[in-house]
Parts: sequence; structure tokens; C-alpha cells
Amino acid sequence: MTAAGPDLAGLDLASIPARIQTEVERAIQRSIKGVEYMSSAGPSLGSTPKDILSSRGTMNLYHYRPVADEIYRVPILIVMATTNRGYILDMVPGQSFIEFLLKRGYDVYMLDWTAPKPEEKSLRMEDYVLDFIPHCVEQVQRDSGENDVTVIGYCFGGVLSLLYGSIFADGPMKNLICFTTPVDFREMKLFQNFSDRRYFDVDHLVDSVGNVPPEMILSSFEMLRPASRAASQVQLWENIWNDEFVKSYRMFDRWATDTLPLAGEYFRAITKDLMWDNKLYNDTMTVGGRKVDIADIKVPILHAVAEHDHIVPYDAAKHLIAKIGSVDKEEVILKGGHVSLVAGANAVRRLWPKLDSWLCERST
Amino acid sequence: MADKSSDPVALWQNMIGEMEKGFNAFANQAMASPQFSKAVNQMGGATAGAQKQLGELMEKYLVAMNMPSRAQMVGMAERLQSIEGQLNEIKAMLHQMQGGGAATSSGYSRTPRPPRTKRPPSADGEQK
Repeated sequence: MTAAGPDLAGLDLASIPARIQTEVERAIQRSIKGVEYMSSAGPSLGSTPKDILSSRGTMNLYHYRPVADEIYRVPILIVMATTNRGYILDMVPGQSFIEFLLKRGYDVYMLDWTAPKPEEKSLRMEDYVLDFIPHCVEQVQRDSGENDVTVIGYCFGGVLSLLYGSIFADGPMKNLICFTTPVDFREMKLFQNFSDRRYFDVDHLVDSVGNVPPEMILSSFEMLRPASRAASQVQLWENIWNDEFVKSYRMFDRWATDTLPLAGEYFRAITKDLMWDNKLYNDTMTVGGRKVDIADIKVPILHAVAEHDHIVPYDAAKHLIAKIGSVDKEEVILKGGHVSLVAGANAVRRLWPKLDSWLCERST
Repeated sequence: MADKSSDPVALWQNMIGEMEKGFNAFANQAMASPQFSKAVNQMGGATAGAQKQLGELMEKYLVAMNMPSRAQMVGMAERLQSIEGQLNEIKAMLHQMQGGGAATSSGYSRTPRPPRTKRPPSADGEQK
């Protein structure tokens, strides 16, 4: 073995001292930044200026203050997933989907959720689909003075939007955009197994605890990738010298762990109607006695799905475009996962510009 | 600089990534079995019952100790949140008044809205 020569078995020996120096500097930075990390609060999230238009228990409707001199005629109502907070779409300036839409000249409203109180355990699917969403749509119409509304649903917010759009097929929804929205719940294989009707007694659970605790929701998400939390903490330690990495880690980690409980009766309906009987896919779904058939939805639709989505796999989402009644329909498959599709650096480059170019022509 | 295949740090990171993928795949396979579902749900069912009983017991204990329960603390946090929200609204109204605008009685500041006349960039030659 010789120490001479610029390259030995692919190793550039000349670069070793510089590399050692970099690693020593990073090790020192890790110790300093590690202490900073422990003692400081994370970045302030969801800070785009907004006003609350309506608030009823778990339901909150926000209006974001327009920033453009001129806006598109049709306002947007974003329906957030009921398991998570809406600030995933409004992280920090420069990484906020809401800010992006406002700057592009859209008038944006969001239906966001807070933790249902114990007395809200009796909220049913019909409360969400036949009451909360129509109430918010009416508020948006009244506030904006426009009859038409574009609805954007993220994950289960997309499912609620589909149920609403099918039952209220005559309007006022003008466009529908769904992000990673499952239709065939058989294809959510692990969730299927967790809720196997032979072993999962949903009635016992709901009757015992009322609202389903957020810890249970969070652990069922984390069980889909059990090693990822530990691996991400190793990554954090390696990159703790990098302020941008740490900022991004803290934003996403805070959001991911800020899971909401689910109202008991609503969870019971999701389990029985969707996970067990797959009623949305089988066209046998009813909400409050009203038949749901997504073929009744005829408005223009864009469905954005993620190539590496471990929560809503493509097989669970792909039937949406095939089943919907719209003529003007498009599915776009983008690189990324369930969250990175809509937020973070990838979304800034991929989904957001695509959505803007699709929606602007349908917003006048 | 050494290329990625010979960089020990890159190799370490790659190894962690591969281990994560491998473990996730292995665990997913194990979790897809009916035995896993049975075991987890038996455990979960027992925990849910125990949790309910323990919660009720704790509630009684805290009342006896003259201490607030979790539900009361959550209620207080929500009230604080609502006060914070109202403060923000007051702040927004003050800003509004300072700027010469009017605020509605509901507290929702009705700033003059931009006109809804925007056209898609391609229609008026504007760059995207």
C-alpha cells in the first residue's frame, strides 16, 4: 500500500486534509447548533395575514387578504384534511402555497379544522359534507360577491370535496382540484390491514374513547414507515450545522406531529363505509340519505398525485379521473411524496406552477 | 474532492438511506399479515377500555385534589387561543383605522378588495 498518488482506489488523497477540516468544523457547529436547537422555538408557521369569516366548533373558515392589485373572478375554497392542520399550505414566506396563490392573483379561503371537543364526538359525515362545506361555500359566495367557487381538497379534504361535489352537482362549484385523493380504499393496503373488520372493533373504540385520539392517528401514519422517524433524526444531527435544513426539518416535523383527533361518529363512518365497504369506489355511498356518485360531477377537474405517496398509493387514487363525469379532466403525476407534493421546495417547482397554469384559464 | 463512491460521509448517508428503506419494506411486509392486525387490535382494544377507565379515575382523583383535569386545561388553552384571535382582530382593526379604513362591527376588517378583472397571462400577453 502506498500513500503517494492523487487517487487510490477512487479516493483522492489530496482532498483528505480539507475533508477532515470540514468534518471537524461541522462537528463543532453541530454542538453549538444542537444547543441552539434545544433552546429555541421553531419558525412561525401559517403567518400569511388572514381574517376569520366563520367559526363553529371544529370548523374554521379563513379568508386570506389579497395582495395583488387585480384578482381572478372566481374565489378558491381550500378544504383541508380533517386529520391535519392547514398551515402545511402556509409554512413560511417563500414556501407558502397560500402566498403563491395570492401573489398570482387568486382570492383564497380555507376551511381548516381544530381539534373536535369531547361534545363534538357525535359529528357525522353528513355534518362535514352537508353542513360545514355548504356553509363555507355560502360564506365565500357572500363575502366575494361571486356565485362560482373553485374547490381544492387535500387528501381526505379531497374525499369530502368529492362527496360535496357529487351531492351538489348543480353548483356552485365551478372547478375542482384534488391533491392525493383516495377513491379505492382497498388499495390502501396497510390501513386496510390495521382496520381489518375481523379484528378491529371500531364500535368498541369509538364508544370507549369518544373522539379518536391524535396519538392513534399519528402512530397509524408513522407505522407505514416505521424506520423513517429514527432515520430523519440521524439526518437532522448530520445536518444540524445547516440552518436551512434545520428550519425545513422543524417546519415539517412540527406539522406532522400536530395531528388532530377525529370526531368519533365521523371516524366510525370512514371505517365502515370507506375502509370496509369501499362505498365510494363501489358507487354505493350515501351521506345523510343522499346518494353519492362521483360520475355526477361534471366540472373541470385536476387531480395531482405523488409518485412515491406511501399514505395514498397511486392505485388508491388513480380511479378518480376514470370515474368522474367531467369532460375537462386531467391527472398529473408528480415526483415526491404525500406531503412534498404540496409543500416544500419540490412543490414550489412542480405542483404550484402546474396548478396556476391550469386554474388561471378557468378562473375568469 | 472525492467522488460520492469514495466519500465516507456520502457512503454513510447512503447506508442510512438503504437501511431505512430495507427496514420499512421488511416491517411493511410483516404488518400486512392478518396475525399482525389481530395482535395490534387486541392490544388496542384492551388499551382503549383501560384508557377510558383510567381517564375517569384520574378525573375523580384530580377533582378530589382540587386540581384541573386535562379537559379543563384543554378548555383553558382554547379560551386563550380565542383571546389571542380576538387580540389579533383588534390589532388588525387598529391598523385599519390608522390607515384610514373602516372596520365592520363583526370585527372582520373589510379592506377595499381588488377588482375581479384579472385575466390569464396568455390572454393579455403577460409573461407567466
